[in-house]
Amino acid sequence: MQTCRGGALVSLLFQTLVNGLLVGGLYITFSIGFSLAFGVLDVVDFAVGEWVMLGAFAGIGAKSWFGIDPFIALPAVFVIFAAAGSLVAPLIYRVRSSTYARPALMALAFTFGLATLARGTMLSAVGFDPRTVHTGFANGTLSVVGLEIPGLRLAGFVFAIVSTGLFVGFLYFTRTGLAIRAVAQDKANAGLMGVNVKRISMLVYCIYAGLTGMAGVLIGAIYAVTAQVGPQYALLAFFVVVVAGLGSVLGVFVAGLLLGVIQAVVTVYIGPSYTLGIVFGVLFAILLVSPRGILGRGMAV
Amino acid sequence: MSRASLAARVLVLAAVAVLVLTVPGWAGDYWTRILTGVCMWAGLALAWNVLGGYAGYISFGHAVFFGIGAYATALLMQPGRHWNFFLTLPVGVAAAALLAAVVGWPTLKLRGAYFAIATWALAEAILQLATVVGFTNGSSGLVIPSFASSSFFYYAMLVAAVLTFLTTYTLLERSRWGYQVKALRDDEATARSVGIDTTRVKIQAYVLSAAIPAVFGAIDAYWITFINPQSVLSADITDQMVVMVLIGGLGHAWGPALGAALLFVVNRQFVAEFGDTTSYIAVVGALVALVVLFLPDGLVSLIPGVRRLGLVRRLLPWPRPEAERR
Repeated sequence: MQTCRGGALVSLLFQTLVNGLLVGGLYITFSIGFSLAFGVLDVVDFAVGEWVMLGAFAGIGAKSWFGIDPFIALPAVFVIFAAAGSLVAPLIYRVRSSTYARPALMALAFTFGLATLARGTMLSAVGFDPRTVHTGFANGTLSVVGLEIPGLRLAGFVFAIVSTGLFVGFLYFTRTGLAIRAVAQDKANAGLMGVNVKRISMLVYCIYAGLTGMAGVLIGAIYAVTAQVGPQYALLAFFVVVVAGLGSVLGVFVAGLLLGVIQAVVTVYIGPSYTLGIVFGVLFAILLVSPRGILGRGMAV
Repeated sequence: MSRASLAARVLVLAAVAVLVLTVPGWAGDYWTRILTGVCMWAGLALAWNVLGGYAGYISFGHAVFFGIGAYATALLMQPGRHWNFFLTLPVGVAAAALLAAVVGWPTLKLRGAYFAIATWALAEAILQLATVVGFTNGSSGLVIPSFASSSFFYYAMLVAAVLTFLTTYTLLERSRWGYQVKALRDDEATARSVGIDTTRVKIQAYVLSAAIPAVFGAIDAYWITFINPQSVLSADITDQMVVMVLIGGLGHAWGPALGAALLFVVNRQFVAEFGDTTSYIAVVGALVALVVLFLPDGLVSLIPGVRRLGLVRRLLPWPRPEAERR
């Protein structure tokens, strides 16, 4: 009897950890672009959560307007969001690089305005009701050594790892990727070496918007979304970037998975209503104790 | 200034003062309520401006201090305790100031976006906490014994707003301390090198900026007679403060109050006209983006003569070339 209960407890723990890790993959996807856009544009994009929210609604729209399965529409979502990003990026760049007073603060305020605009528009368009992305794929659950693995979460995780892997490969094995990393490190020097800083910044913002939109579709398939869910995901992205340390790709992987696990563990063992409070409390504590990220690899704040 | 124009100025000021003081008499119930709200938001925007505009630290968590004031009043006025309203005010203010001092000391070491994120995270954590702990009665909220006199609340908000303006104006535009705050905003390292204790000045600015919203939170709770975490601690309140300051004029002595008055009236008219607040959110977002792009000094910079007073950003490190200003 005793061992039986012990076994159930252990398997609940493993189940929780697996669920957390799987969702953590999606956090990596939208945080890696966010982290890089932060590094390249020198702007914290407060609209990151709104890209997630818009992505989820793009998935819902693909199904209800065009009858296309949201997962099949993922490449289209990437293209559309990258295009939308290419409209926003020049504006952010303009504000950030203006010679006017305190461009960093103004850029922060600008993305905050964009986020508010997106949220208000979507609230007016679709209201407050929670919705879910419905897909014909991966709806079952997989049983592996006694663990129930929800197909959707697994699909999201695989997608996240593949897309993030492709992106990291692009960063480290192409000349453009090299230019991006150079700009993230030092704009002035990268410019002197012949890198077109403005073009690279646009490119990064577009890729980031596309990746985040796609992550939004998958998040919408796993969790219900409302038009006002954006700020919550923005804070999660901040969490990942802060814990990772600005500019650390490895850190983003660790922090994304850690966030997924913290969320899952708190939800199961303490209660869902405590989850966000504890996540934000941890974020606040880490910012104070170790602003360069838990791995200590980030740049100084 | 000639004697005639001085006399004209005094007359106009006196007329405005009389109009403002007699609002409950001529404005009717609806507009008295709206003007009460204008006073409240003007005070909140001015308070946020102390830290955001003068010290250069953007706080995305100021709703916490508003909420602390509201909760202090609501808890102390519960039937079991029934404190006098005016006795609850200093309690809320002290609690907010204490929290700001304790939180500010480590948080103000963070720069720019990191400070914004930290304050936002803290505010969200406290909002979640207030929803789950027992004594706040969670999301069901608290009911406060009502005191139905709309003119009382108008005058309370008015006095609080005027005192806020006088305090912030005196401290920031007419004192040595104000110069220290602006110096650290413009260049923290230089400010420290000329002997300003920047840590102390930053914390003082944060405490001042946090104590004021507690007053308005307290009056608001007593006025609305019902509070819950969503109504007094949510990020919407912080967002409003930020937006009002940006649109009015960041770092200007009274621009934020102008922004607050304008936005609040627009907001109420939107609600009265369309019955919803969601399109208002979109409009506010668009306004902020447009102001940042085309009018970074806010609406005050449109008023002729304001710039000649030299209040707008005279100390900023990258003054815009004169030719570009048009």
